[in-house]
Amino acid sequence: MAQISIDGVTKRYGATEVLKRLDLSVAEGEFMVLLGPSGCGKTTLLRMIAGLETPSTGRIMIGGTDVTLTPPAKRDVGMVFQSYALYPHMTVRENIALGLKLRGVTPTEIASRIERVAALVQIAPYLERKPKALSGGQRQRVALARVIAREPSVSLMDEPLSNIDAQLRTVMRAELLRIHRKTGMTTIYVTHDQEEAMGLGDRITVMNFGHVEQIGTPDEIYAHPANAFVARFIGAPRMNLIRLAHRPGANAIEAAGIRAPVPATLGTLPPDLFLGFRGEEARPGAAHDGEAMIEGVVDVVEHLGAQIEVHLRLDDGEEAVFRRPRGETIWREGERASLAIPAAHLHLFNAETGAALRA
Amino acid sequence: MTEPTLHEVKVPRIRQWEPWFFVGPSLLLLLAVGLYPTVFVAYFSFHNWTMGMGPPVFNGFDNYIETLTSSDFISSILRTFLFLIVTLPIELCLGLSIALALDQTRNAWLRRLVQILLVVPIATTPSVVGMLVQLMFNTQLGVVNYGLHVLGIAPIDWLGNAHAALGMVMMTQIWEWTPFVALVLSASLATVPQDIEEAITLETESFWARFRYIKLPFLRPGLVASIVFQTIFTIKTFDMIYSVEKGGPGDATQMIALHIERIAFRGFDVGLASAESVLTLIVTIVLAQTVVSFLYKDEV
Repeated sequence: MAQISIDGVTKRYGATEVLKRLDLSVAEGEFMVLLGPSGCGKTTLLRMIAGLETPSTGRIMIGGTDVTLTPPAKRDVGMVFQSYALYPHMTVRENIALGLKLRGVTPTEIASRIERVAALVQIAPYLERKPKALSGGQRQRVALARVIAREPSVSLMDEPLSNIDAQLRTVMRAELLRIHRKTGMTTIYVTHDQEEAMGLGDRITVMNFGHVEQIGTPDEIYAHPANAFVARFIGAPRMNLIRLAHRPGANAIEAAGIRAPVPATLGTLPPDLFLGFRGEEARPGAAHDGEAMIEGVVDVVEHLGAQIEVHLRLDDGEEAVFRRPRGETIWREGERASLAIPAAHLHLFNAETGAALRA
Repeated sequence: MTEPTLHEVKVPRIRQWEPWFFVGPSLLLLLAVGLYPTVFVAYFSFHNWTMGMGPPVFNGFDNYIETLTSSDFISSILRTFLFLIVTLPIELCLGLSIALALDQTRNAWLRRLVQILLVVPIATTPSVVGMLVQLMFNTQLGVVNYGLHVLGIAPIDWLGNAHAALGMVMMTQIWEWTPFVALVLSASLATVPQDIEEAITLETESFWARFRYIKLPFLRPGLVASIVFQTIFTIKTFDMIYSVEKGGPGDATQMIALHIERIAFRGFDVGLASAESVLTLIVTIVLAQTVVSFLYKDEV
């Protein structure tokens, strides 16, 4: 188990800067998720920790040792590849054994470790099969077993669940957590799926265009997004962000169909703002003191099973989306409706920089 | 309600024949240049027929008996095997080394250049190869003897000395066919998926371990193909040796194909030459089949 720290790491391919002076530290035994849209540099960062890429500038430390130029095999990291990268000509048992054998683990120890991990990830019946005779989920377990059996100090996972179907993905997610709790391996997990990130991570690093947007626990990131990018990226449905203008000196911001109080503690506001709120935190009805009011025409009502999704068209054409419990009959397409949002659930962002405005 | 009538779907006859229109031309060509001569040879191998000496007369297995008891045929076959046993392993080793070196090359431009250079020996007309070899190995003027002279070694009569001549055609054979092996193996190495190469670099730094556990299994089909093709090509080697030495001096470089040519087109004994060809074909098939059944496993 080891602590990882990334100090000022930049990665350039020719003129393209994929990572920009990135700093990150991961605690021992932590499950850290790197989350971001495709092309944000999260996989590049993971591959640099593995040693498959070399940073252009900066330093990578694992367990207090500078490993920036250490060959991958000497870093004591295990990796689950997106494609699993199982050795196709070897049985599952041989796949798991190879890394151990190459590290000089004794045959009896290898056999007992294989028994252990096979039980842990439930692949015991398939040990003598070749990868092509396994389903996607089984291959994923084998890839995981290969890493766990090695007992590396760091385990790296590159979108390991992206190639299996949605139902199995939720099962495997719980299993990954169970295995992480059991092994306590420091884990860095790359994904573009915010739901997966929220479910798995002790902490999440949200990345975009090669830099870190926010690092925090899933709850922090959900409840207090540091900027408009994180606010939009986290949560389904995404946070509503409505562009507003602020008149200097006013104690509220107002626009067509919206009126929101402004806490005095925020100080001077920029003239251009985003008002952010999550649909699930609004309730129908008139706003009380200190609450924000939002009003518009019900555009579309979608039935999603346990919930309905209401799309509200504001008077200036902007759209806000809310999730409400099933059976709430007050939403009729084409009619006017209003909702109230408690001040605690309002977010303000500087529309120019994207940064959250906080008291 | 009445059942709706189900019509039998009739595919027009022309559509059924369609595939044959596409396959037909090349099939005809193959039959004409491949199957017909084989049948022709097999047929005349059971006949006593010397060109210009009357019509073929059936003589059973006489040609085969004569062939198998001919010391000239046996020694040509053995010489061909010696030729194969010496050149094939060297071609494989050199070809594999080149393929591995190419695989390690990060520089795409250099890799492309080497690949193009590798095609040169394969693409060069065998008679041109023969002329070049005669020139290079010339006792007085040749660059090979000049090189030996620089190293302080006495000149060798490459074209006149029996052992030297055999060595010379072996070297030429290796020069001509190593690139083929290198290209086949380099194509095999390219089939190793990148993620699998990366997975193994996380496990070990040792080149040997990566070769043995990852590259070799992926190389297997290419190695089998190289061995099978090289066995076939080597057994039927004719053009290069013919243009350099015509089997000489004496019979020092007379491989089986040259021996057959000598009987067929200088002795005009088509029957005997046909029997030798059939026997050579059988030997080649048996060898190739043995290689395939011993080495080929569908692993990857």
